[in-house]
Amino acid sequence: MTTDGILSLKEQLGRNDELFARTGHLFGLERLARKESDPGTYEAVWQILSSVCNTAWVAGCKVSSSPIAAEGGDALWALHLPTGEAICISRGITAHPGLISDMIRHFIELGYEEYPGFHQGDIFENNDPHYGGIHAPDFDMAMPIFYQDRLVAWASAVSHANDVGSVTPGSIGFLNPDCYSDGVCISMEKVGEKDRYFPWYEMRMRSRTRTPDWVMGDARGRLAGCLIVRERLTRVIEKYGLDFFLEASREYVEDSRRYAVSRIRTQAVPGRLRKSQFKDLAMKGKRVLLPKQDVDCLFNLPMELEVRPDATIRISLRGASGTVPFGENISPVALKSGLLNGYSHVVGFDMFNSGPTAAWRMETPPEGSWANPFPKDFSASSGVAWAPAVLWVSSLYEVMGRLYHARGFVEEMAAGAATTMTAEFSGINQQGVYVAGLTLEQASNGQPARGFADGENSAWCIYTANADFGNAEISELFYPVLFLGRNIEPDSSGYGQHRGGLGHTAVWLVHGTPGIEYQCGCAGIRSKTIANHGMFGAYPAFPDRPAFAHETNLNERIAERLPLVHERGDPDDPDLARNIRATRLETGVIAPFVTPEPLVEGDLIIHPVAGAQSMGDPLERDPAAVAADLDRGWTRPWVAEDVYGVVAKPDGVEWKVDEAATRARREQIRSERRARAIPFRQWWEQERERVAARQDMDPAVLQMWRSSMALSPDYGAELRAFWDLPSDFEF
Amino acid sequence: MAEFHKSDVEKLLDGVLPWPAVQDMMRSPKDPDRFDKYVEILQSRVPWPERILLPLTPALFIVAKDGARIVKCRCGHEFGDYRVNWKLAALIHVRADEASLREVYRGRETPDPAWIQVREYVCPGCGSQLEVEAVPRGCPPDFEFLPDLDSFYRDWLGRPLPDAQAFEDRTLEVVRSWRRDPAPAPRRKA
Repeated sequence: MTTDGILSLKEQLGRNDELFARTGHLFGLERLARKESDPGTYEAVWQILSSVCNTAWVAGCKVSSSPIAAEGGDALWALHLPTGEAICISRGITAHPGLISDMIRHFIELGYEEYPGFHQGDIFENNDPHYGGIHAPDFDMAMPIFYQDRLVAWASAVSHANDVGSVTPGSIGFLNPDCYSDGVCISMEKVGEKDRYFPWYEMRMRSRTRTPDWVMGDARGRLAGCLIVRERLTRVIEKYGLDFFLEASREYVEDSRRYAVSRIRTQAVPGRLRKSQFKDLAMKGKRVLLPKQDVDCLFNLPMELEVRPDATIRISLRGASGTVPFGENISPVALKSGLLNGYSHVVGFDMFNSGPTAAWRMETPPEGSWANPFPKDFSASSGVAWAPAVLWVSSLYEVMGRLYHARGFVEEMAAGAATTMTAEFSGINQQGVYVAGLTLEQASNGQPARGFADGENSAWCIYTANADFGNAEISELFYPVLFLGRNIEPDSSGYGQHRGGLGHTAVWLVHGTPGIEYQCGCAGIRSKTIANHGMFGAYPAFPDRPAFAHETNLNERIAERLPLVHERGDPDDPDLARNIRATRLETGVIAPFVTPEPLVEGDLIIHPVAGAQSMGDPLERDPAAVAADLDRGWTRPWVAEDVYGVVAKPDGVEWKVDEAATRARREQIRSERRARAIPFRQWWEQERERVAARQDMDPAVLQMWRSSMALSPDYGAELRAFWDLPSDFEF
Repeated sequence: MAEFHKSDVEKLLDGVLPWPAVQDMMRSPKDPDRFDKYVEILQSRVPWPERILLPLTPALFIVAKDGARIVKCRCGHEFGDYRVNWKLAALIHVRADEASLREVYRGRETPDPAWIQVREYVCPGCGSQLEVEAVPRGCPPDFEFLPDLDSFYRDWLGRPLPDAQAFEDRTLEVVRSWRRDPAPAPRRKA
């Protein structure tokens, strides 16, 4: 305790934890006194703080000037309590406030208040996953805010840098074999003071990243936004009083916790939910960096969520499979922050802050799993940690959708987030400048199916609420490509009564470069499996498979005015193969990968982005909706007839449904289903023989089961019990 | 407090409530009697008399029948104790080879059957496709939702159900019974 009677931050943390454990209310706030006594001011100040954070986001992104921040808005600013809990958060990349909250808490727990001390103008950063970062390209930053010599809050920011100096260029380091290849590392450091970065910070970025102007632009953008937060917060305190701010800011966090718990109690149902998800990472035989990476991997990402009778939430990842020698490992802190992102969209959205997660008990994932690597594999890479996490976030949307459905709140349902395939270019651009960076194509998955309607297509992404796939013309300024097409990809959400929003496909012509690499990166894709399951009988979305052609005859075709390539076309007969000749032509590559050689003038890339999940038996889709999709090219005739059971014919520019034939076709499909399906027990008898014999199982599948069962013995025991396998059985 | 009539909820379920009205429903405080209106609507749409205790999916319901709580399809087909994964009483069709997958996914859109199988769960009564799983061989079927019905009715709705039952997953008990009892002769070829 200090001489003036104010607790140290570490003491405040301890007291807060004790009060929460004892009272069930954050900070022991059994009453929200400020809210009760002056609800108008309480609400008004919330709106002001929210506006302050959003102003920081707008200004910070523009100061950043990097394509990811300026064009895509892939950054975030927030305001925190002195002990780290987020009070208020801006738009943008909303997976991060949990990380930043924990980062501030860790600064305090590590004794930084005493040494090096906290002062007005100090800048602290972390991007090291070992200490709670998600992956190195996301720089988490925090500045203490003092008022009359008292630390009253923190401003924070995160931005996703174009290149972080990892072993391969760019910001999606899926190919990184270990943490030593993850690039520049800021490990819980003080990186500036007096509102300026230390000179050596900039020197390090200039010598250790490939696009230092953009990286430092992002840093200055983070700083600019935090200074805005500090300046505007000071005005708020001067107007409403320090006592008001200190008390109301804590109430906002407890208020959020209450809101989320109350929403669960009034709109969900207690019980246990489970959802299996699997993600492939097929790298055997591809261009990799170390021999240990010549391997195929499969991730097990099971979710068990329990809504307890007191309306709190328990979340478990038991059964998670082992680490991989690639960048797709993630720390528990980062994983929890990602889940907070999803939870804030469907449960705790009234005041987006740390409150809702206070009602969670998230079991620590098994040590040595992809979700908790460092206790057993300290060198695991987290180059693109979001890759598996997004599937777990997707499961969260789905299980919450099941709860809302059970209670009748179908207007709140979302069938699950789509997964993402990133596109990064690295090489010399059309201005002769070296670039490494993402396009924003991946932020366009479309909205999941809702309980009552289809999702919206493309240029939308549920887990990045401010997602924007950016203007094609701006991408053409940064990267040496021209868009030959940007299309809604038909049926890319799977098939269901309500379909998810469709993803889209970009077709790029490489132009104006002596050579550039295309990295089809992994930010949650599945290319051998299908992981976007859908709900209630919908078919999952098909795998992501990009295409490219090297050393093409495109220029001759342009000169002869022959058809080019503007979309994917038929999956059995793609436009690329139909129209283009090339020394290397790949029409459906298993992703992720990096092009084997630099692409040159006239080469083509087709980059698809999956849609979001569907919901319900496809035979229950309104035939008129199927016809409307046929009119727009959003579903294919064979899908309409064979999957949706809709018989329709083109009539001029529109498709007309034959209602009688549709009824008959649907009844026929239902009969066929009953005829070909067998009783579950009969299948179980047959299948257990195949499982016991490890029949027709890829080595990656076997390895995944081995690690899951070894890391989570109870999960393994349940699996063995279900298949009636001996207690010592191993895959 | 917004007032939403049963007819609004019915239109919402059928996807015909105008979008501005849906947005109003999303923004407004939720109607506290929504569950009762919802169940009334669903009850009026099924051809059987058993009381719906909880909807599980658009097709499946937990109902009270003769002192038991069972899963029942809207068509009337019964799947048994709600604490056992209903999939064990369903029909299943598995796409685990290229040919069967290609009926749904073609060309570059076809997943690899050595990595994943597509399991379709079908109601024996009406042929509805109830759930679809995409999982590798060896994965037990997901028991997506095991509600704690007694806590829900007693603690959250304030009207306890008669004959409280233990909140437990009884799926493995059924599997164990299969081990003990000889398997019936297959009704169809696999």
